[in-house]
Amino acid sequence: MNLVNRFFLWLVLLPAQLYEKMGINTHQLRAVLNTKLLIDDRRPNTFHQTQQKKKKKPISFATLGTMLVTGFMGCFFVFSFFVGQDMITHLTIFFSFFLFVLASTLIADFTSVLIDIRDNVIILPKPISDKTFVLARLLHVLIHISKLVFPMALPSLIFVGINQGVLKLLPFILLIALATLFTIFLINALYILILKLTTPDRFKTIISYFQIIFAIAFYGGYQIVPRLINKVAMEQYDIRTNFWAWLAPPYWFAGAWQFLTSFEITIPLISSLILSIVVPIASIYIVIKYFAPSFNQKLSMISGSESGPAPQADVDGKKVNSNSGYLSLLTNLFSEKGAETMSFQNVWKITARSRDYKMKVYPSLGYLVVYLVMMFLNNKNFSLADVQNQTGRGKIIFISLIYFSSLILIMSVNQLLYSEKYKAAWIYFTTPIEKPGKIISGAIKSMIAKFFLPIVAVTFIAATWIVGPKIIPNLLLGIFNELLIIFTIAFLSFREFPFAQVPNQAAKSNFIRGLVSMIVPVTIGGLHYLIYNFMPVVIILAILSGGAAWMVMDAIKNKTWEVLKLEYKD
Amino acid sequence: MEPIIRLKNVVKNYGEKKVLKGITLDIYPGQVIGYIGPNGAGKSTTVKILCGLISDYEGEVWVEGKDLKQDPLSVKRKIGYVPELAELYDVLTPAEFLGFMADLYEIPKDVADERIRKMLTAFGLDANMNQRMDTFSKGMRQKVLIISGLLHNPDIIILDEPLSGLDANSVIIVKDLISKLAKDGKTIFYCSHMMDVVEKVSDRIVLINDGVVLADGSFIELQSQQGNQSLEKIFAHMTAKESLSDAADQMMSAFDN
Repeated sequence: MNLVNRFFLWLVLLPAQLYEKMGINTHQLRAVLNTKLLIDDRRPNTFHQTQQKKKKKPISFATLGTMLVTGFMGCFFVFSFFVGQDMITHLTIFFSFFLFVLASTLIADFTSVLIDIRDNVIILPKPISDKTFVLARLLHVLIHISKLVFPMALPSLIFVGINQGVLKLLPFILLIALATLFTIFLINALYILILKLTTPDRFKTIISYFQIIFAIAFYGGYQIVPRLINKVAMEQYDIRTNFWAWLAPPYWFAGAWQFLTSFEITIPLISSLILSIVVPIASIYIVIKYFAPSFNQKLSMISGSESGPAPQADVDGKKVNSNSGYLSLLTNLFSEKGAETMSFQNVWKITARSRDYKMKVYPSLGYLVVYLVMMFLNNKNFSLADVQNQTGRGKIIFISLIYFSSLILIMSVNQLLYSEKYKAAWIYFTTPIEKPGKIISGAIKSMIAKFFLPIVAVTFIAATWIVGPKIIPNLLLGIFNELLIIFTIAFLSFREFPFAQVPNQAAKSNFIRGLVSMIVPVTIGGLHYLIYNFMPVVIILAILSGGAAWMVMDAIKNKTWEVLKLEYKD
Repeated sequence: MEPIIRLKNVVKNYGEKKVLKGITLDIYPGQVIGYIGPNGAGKSTTVKILCGLISDYEGEVWVEGKDLKQDPLSVKRKIGYVPELAELYDVLTPAEFLGFMADLYEIPKDVADERIRKMLTAFGLDANMNQRMDTFSKGMRQKVLIISGLLHNPDIIILDEPLSGLDANSVIIVKDLISKLAKDGKTIFYCSHMMDVVEKVSDRIVLINDGVVLADGSFIELQSQQGNQSLEKIFAHMTAKESLSDAADQMMSAFDN
């Protein structure tokens, strides 16, 4: 137990006598909180999950690590004080950041940290009263949120303290507390909404989609927003000129601060103050009064669904699977009968259903899309005519569009190696598979059919439609090059069965692999640009590249047990 | 003698599905109840009601003269529960986890520490006492769970498939422990699918199927009603819809094509 946790534990247990009077067993309260904080300290957090840590070193002091990272993020918030000239604009932007980052962190933590389904089996059969347990949960939430909010707000607090004087910090702190309450309400409301709309079974999946969207939006925001606003406009920006700002809660908090520090009696400022105090408190009241009871019930359903009655057999014997026709068509088109087909379909289904895989790949896909959008934004005077006439810029756009999609493919293939359920790979070792290479080629073809084929189809149709058939040789060269790249990378680095590796491998080799995977398509894309207009060369190279891709794929398929030296990881 | 556990017409529905359709049972101190039934019969649901995990049931449950709905805390103090799945906070060490359990039962710290050490040593886990449980095997986790259910010296012990994952030697220890606990006057509620174990350890067998009690009595009594055969055979005879050897025949005939 580290100092921070001990401090918070001491702090929340200060009113112990008051708790006793309320009929709460403080001995049990302390025991639950102590254990919960200890568990928090050893749990990989949101930041660890993406980092891929080595498994051998047990995680301790996760709390301090999280607080440091959060503090670092908090430093970025200080930038909001450089947008615009007045404090209302500064603070509106600060509170927007604050609400957004806090909400996106909490949305993940609520499922993994704050709602531990094991509590039901471990704590509920013990003689602990509901009151005590509810208070323990509440205090745990409070401590958890404080550990996020303090480091997040600290850099900005220091900045404001230095620039505006310490006295003006008090209303700022108060408003941060109110904004935090408001965020808790937002998260709760979102959870209730999701639970209303779907079954508890799908709850976690939907939450993970939210996390993916948040991650992409966050990244996109940091990338795109500063580019959209030019620097002079940014410094002159005044949020008060926009009437719609009233719809955004951060604007109220900013106005309230202005009122509390200047006591200017104007209608907008007073309305801000009222809104920023009444709305969070009223919303928390709603959460406690109306949401919480049904919330707990619903949450017990999440756990109940696991231990509840076994699923009923399908009465009509029909399996609901919308894309099975499409899948079998693709399977017949791309894969050989036998091991390759098995692997093709298996990988297709697992990548579609595994929350784990989607959480790793989809955010990266989102980042790439953000890059793409940025690329177009940077080319402000880009027009369709450029592409149509195949000018220099048109060519660059076209080539980056084609080679860009190979990054998606590389990413999706790289993640195929890892799975939490890596032990399930025993099936490949106990069945009589003649050439393990076929499992690998099936897996890669599956990813090509899933992520590459749709992009290629759209690009092909769009390009032929805009430019005309004369672009086809270049299109084909691009597509074959990409296939060659992915097959070569797979030939060299995909030396395991799909989903057979422990996910927490050293991050280093991944980083280098990622870097190489980036450089290769970019270089080949550059070379393609140079020969773009020499049609005979393009045609010959397209044929060569296509043939080479075919050969490398065949080489993967024919890899034997001796070459691959596969080992079952237990 | 007063029954220590009394279930009166207990009904539990999950939505439309009726899981328990009126279970009535009187259990007396010192009995070892073998609670058996096929998957989905309602065994776990009964256990969860007794442990206070499910509170929205209909009917009455009395434990040592106390209504479970009225006074769940004092009922919970009397019961020790060993859950079926290895559900525990595995980032903790056994010493930390069991210490936490002891705190929840409000056992004085010195008593608890001594007891935890002795019990872990008895199961051969003394060397692992301060290791995190995420590296533990299924059997080691199960041992920790068994200790967590016995720690506060409860009058009633509910065991849900307690032998899963244990090696043969540990099975002997646990079986021996059950009979010694019963001799000590503890009431044991033993849920399992392993008929041969149930046949040996329990002195009263309650067979449920589809939410109702099908048979209730000692093994000898069951044998006298159902013919002189093993509990496994009696179980199959009373719960299987079709003949089980037909199923095996069907399996074999699948090779024909």
